[in-house]
Amino acid sequence: MNPTFKYLVNRMKSKAIWIEIFFLFCFSCQLPVRQDVFDIKEKSSLPIPTLENEEYVMVTTAVTMPMYVHHDQASFKRWGQEKGVKVSILGPSDWDVPAQINTLEEVIGTHPSGLLINGTDPAIARAINKAVDAGIPTVVYDSDIPLSNRHSFIGTNWYEIGKMQGAEMVKLSGGKGKLAYLGILGLSNMEDGYRGLMDAIKEYPEMILVGKFDDKANVEEAAKITADLMAAHPDLMGICGFDSNSGPGIALAVKEAGKVGKIKITTVDWEPEHLQLVKEGVIQLLAGQKRELFTWYGAQFLYDMVHHTNQLSSDDRQAKINSLPEYMNTGLIKITKENIELFLK
Amino acid sequence: MGHVKLSTMKKIFNSRVYSLSLTILCIAIIACIIFPGQFATRQNFSQLLLNLSTDTIVAVGMMLLLISGTFDLSVGSVVAFAGCFAAYAMFFGQVPVFLAISLALLASLAIGIVNGYFIAYQQVNPMIQTLAMMGIVRGLALWLSGASIQGLPYWFNAISQSKLFGIQMPVWYMLFTVGIFTFLFHYTNFFRRYYYIGGNEKAAELSGIPVSKMKLYSFALTSLLAGIAGILLSSRLGAALPTSGRGLELRVITAVILGGASLNGGLGKIPGALLGALFMGIIANIMVISRVSGYWQEIILGIILIFAVWIDKYLQRKNEI
Amino acid sequence: MKLALRNISKSFGAVQALQQVSFDLVPGEVHALCGENGAGKSTLMNILSGNIQPDQGEIFLSDQQVHLKDSATALHYKIATVYQHLSLFDNLTVAENIYAHQIPTNKKGLIDKKRLILQTEQLLQEIHRGIDANTLVSNLSMGHKQLVEIAKSLAQNPQLLILDEPTSSITDTETKVLFKIIADLKSRNVSIIYITHRLDEIFHISDRVTVLKDGKYVGTMVTSEVNKEKLIHSMVGRDIHSPISKFNKKGDIALAVENLQNKYLKNISFELRKGEILALAGLVGAGRTEIAKTIMGVLPLASGKIFIQGVEVTIPSPLQAIRHGLAYVPEDRKGQGLFVEMSIVENIVSSTLTQETIFYNHQKANNTALEFINKFDIKTTDINKKTNLLSGGNQQKVVLSKWLSLKPQIMMIDEPTQGIDIGAKFEIYQLLKDLTQEGKAILLISSELVEILSLSDRILVIKHGHISKELITKETTEAEIMEWAM
Repeated sequence: MNPTFKYLVNRMKSKAIWIEIFFLFCFSCQLPVRQDVFDIKEKSSLPIPTLENEEYVMVTTAVTMPMYVHHDQASFKRWGQEKGVKVSILGPSDWDVPAQINTLEEVIGTHPSGLLINGTDPAIARAINKAVDAGIPTVVYDSDIPLSNRHSFIGTNWYEIGKMQGAEMVKLSGGKGKLAYLGILGLSNMEDGYRGLMDAIKEYPEMILVGKFDDKANVEEAAKITADLMAAHPDLMGICGFDSNSGPGIALAVKEAGKVGKIKITTVDWEPEHLQLVKEGVIQLLAGQKRELFTWYGAQFLYDMVHHTNQLSSDDRQAKINSLPEYMNTGLIKITKENIELFLK
Repeated sequence: MGHVKLSTMKKIFNSRVYSLSLTILCIAIIACIIFPGQFATRQNFSQLLLNLSTDTIVAVGMMLLLISGTFDLSVGSVVAFAGCFAAYAMFFGQVPVFLAISLALLASLAIGIVNGYFIAYQQVNPMIQTLAMMGIVRGLALWLSGASIQGLPYWFNAISQSKLFGIQMPVWYMLFTVGIFTFLFHYTNFFRRYYYIGGNEKAAELSGIPVSKMKLYSFALTSLLAGIAGILLSSRLGAALPTSGRGLELRVITAVILGGASLNGGLGKIPGALLGALFMGIIANIMVISRVSGYWQEIILGIILIFAVWIDKYLQRKNEI
Repeated sequence: MKLALRNISKSFGAVQALQQVSFDLVPGEVHALCGENGAGKSTLMNILSGNIQPDQGEIFLSDQQVHLKDSATALHYKIATVYQHLSLFDNLTVAENIYAHQIPTNKKGLIDKKRLILQTEQLLQEIHRGIDANTLVSNLSMGHKQLVEIAKSLAQNPQLLILDEPTSSITDTETKVLFKIIADLKSRNVSIIYITHRLDEIFHISDRVTVLKDGKYVGTMVTSEVNKEKLIHSMVGRDIHSPISKFNKKGDIALAVENLQNKYLKNISFELRKGEILALAGLVGAGRTEIAKTIMGVLPLASGKIFIQGVEVTIPSPLQAIRHGLAYVPEDRKGQGLFVEMSIVENIVSSTLTQETIFYNHQKANNTALEFINKFDIKTTDINKKTNLLSGGNQQKVVLSKWLSLKPQIMMIDEPTQGIDIGAKFEIYQLLKDLTQEGKAILLISSELVEILSLSDRILVIKHGHISKELITKETTEAEIMEWAM
């Protein structure tokens, strides 16, 4: 037998070795860096971009969601074609934030030129910071991840979406009546929308919110909840929808109940079916996002950072300057009966 | 010589643990050749292992259930619930980290006991029971946390974000779980009984195995493992997400079946759970590296599952003759 | 129908299941087919029912060569088969089972329920009046299920009927019904192939008997011209002796029960002594199995007392029963006794998993298995072989080993030789006798009266859940037992 091996075997038999191993483990254990306060202003390491194998990767979740496919992804691909650079879209096909984080962390290892990340949940902050630390230009779109070190955010303020819907409801009802909220529960952007809605009706004590309901981004579920609501509250004035399928679902139930126009509907997104419902007078207001702009300009930001389009100092990296706008609000599109014809193609 | 070779081959094909290891090795070697700078890096490997740690810990529990001839669909919800429960207790209740984790694990255990009680003692169909529990627990998680809960205590995050030998802790916890259960299934009478329950429940009962009690334990244990996985996941993310673990149950069942379990029960080895998850993890990783988009990932994983199960049936048929 | 088989061969991989087998069948003949398990009877039957195709050889029906490519083709030629392992749908009614292939329909093509019931009732009239066309098959006893199975094949109006071990799970009364049906079919010129292990039946109903051994044709004899010994000799290739029963001094009372009562049982009281074999006789469904299951703690006990070695015990579960030194070998070997997908070793040690030790000792398990394999001469190439690959006799030995490894004091054995070939049967008889020699007390449940009469010391006849008579084996006859059982 090999003498070293024999030595090891003998040592294994004594108890001392186990204590040694235990201490080895304890000392080898590295605790994470305390990051209780994130410093957003100062970028710990600005990227050193390479132009070799130039590629921009979008990491999102629910990649098969039609709204994402038709707006975010279509626009991103179009941008790639126009610029003549490679663009890729990755992420799980279901709404699964941990899976999006897993994908993101795996992508970081492949060092793409830039990362465009759908800000689905504040929990992805750590993964974003990993990308930034790895020197990859990183832009978050749709919802901001304020606790992250992302180089830029481009998107809509969901608080404003809620506020716009609330203000319209106040206008439509004259400041009194019962309202309901429908959306996906547990998503932070929609929670922001909820706050906006509450703030908008705060000054009208006669406006009451009867409840907050989860339609699970499902048309049938939204229709079912709406039908139940109308039964429980015959004097329901209006319903505010916050996900893409809320509007069509609410409209379906309202139409079936023959209460078109009596129950006011405000909701988000402007897919063809939403627009049609506005034209029919079922939906009173659409708070639309400019999703095409998120990914187009998001990609453009990354490109500009990689190509040093706007150099602000002789060496931005050493000067620790971020050459991108840090926060970009694309604003909202307000679609009502008055301007609907212009959106219908 | 030829004979020896044949019997070794047969042994490899007969045991899923060997054949799957071999397959994984082949895939990994091919990936190393095609993507040398991206796949074959230390960072990518540790990331890959880290990403499958949650699934694998749950898969160990699922393997236990499949061996005994049943399954649990509520594990994905329990993963979300345990994280949210602990986070809620720490964030809103200012409960110390250790206590919060203990409470979350106790709650997970309780969910498993409820599942097990109805399935084992009230003869409720496991599919119905755990499907219902899946909805209930997901609802509880959403109700507790609303949106995701951020800003968890440092020591909570340290559980998963610490590193040992440069590899993040969940990987070690995963290996530890797999190791300890492999040992238990190989060397203890208690865990070996599950093979008998899965093989023939009536005969097991007549052989003096307390089938109902054992079933209750298995559901409790699986739920507890899902709870542990949930705590590790939220510690790793530094946040509790009520939406996490969606579709995890099916992913885990797939991994476990790839790893050699059968829906009829009685078959499967614990390392198979790790290998099944590793196989799926590597495929997903290669698809990310080669930039295959999300829809294709689902399609390819589906095809691989059918192919793997088919090839297994095919080899079994060949072996029988 | 006239049937001729010429040089039929079939192999499965390396195993030659049939080798150049030929035999003839004349119309209106009852032709018994016998041989040990693995002799090729089932393969031959499966070839005739179209389930498998021979590698070589020809089949002639009424002098026409036919190719039975699947079971539908066989049915088309009016060949019907009654399988040993019931092929009924438990979740459907008797009528739906009998007419599963040919449900009567009305003009619109919908199921004609009235006609279905009517046809079924007509058919059942001839067979057994006690079966209702509308009951679910799962509610029937094993014996009645077998009769439904036979009715199902009769509904095809067969010219050739193959019966595979039809009496293995039915009682003597039902056997009588079956023999009446066979006689009736015979008079209508239907040919019958009758596969069985029970020699008495061969002599009772068959005209000729063909013997197979190891896939080879041994010979065809006119039944009236052979005797039992000769037949056994040609099947086994050696002489078989009845179990040697040395005189046994009966010991103390090992098990005593007083007034056992529950859903199935009424006032069951008896005593079982060490070294004794006490047989429970009776019709299927009389409550014999339920007595064993109640003592074992599988069925709940409403009232009554159980004493083991003179001490009163409560047995809420099989685990407790095992701890008190009881063992129960169930009747349905594959359904309740064996773990068919598991190996011999795993099966033998399955009852020891609940013992106090925490760790499973692989080495010890293998040793235990080897010990029993040698002791009981279990024929296998490998201790890790899956038990579903073993013959019935070897499977039963595995089940017995599993219980004996616990060294029980009292064994309750339910239908120990069901579906087991004659050679293995005698080995098991000898084994049971040897166990009594060691002082074990045995409660034997059997539907074979011959078995009961040759093995037991005393007999309890069970009828409708109570003991209708206690008999001393030496002083009784088959007829007397049947009288008390009916």
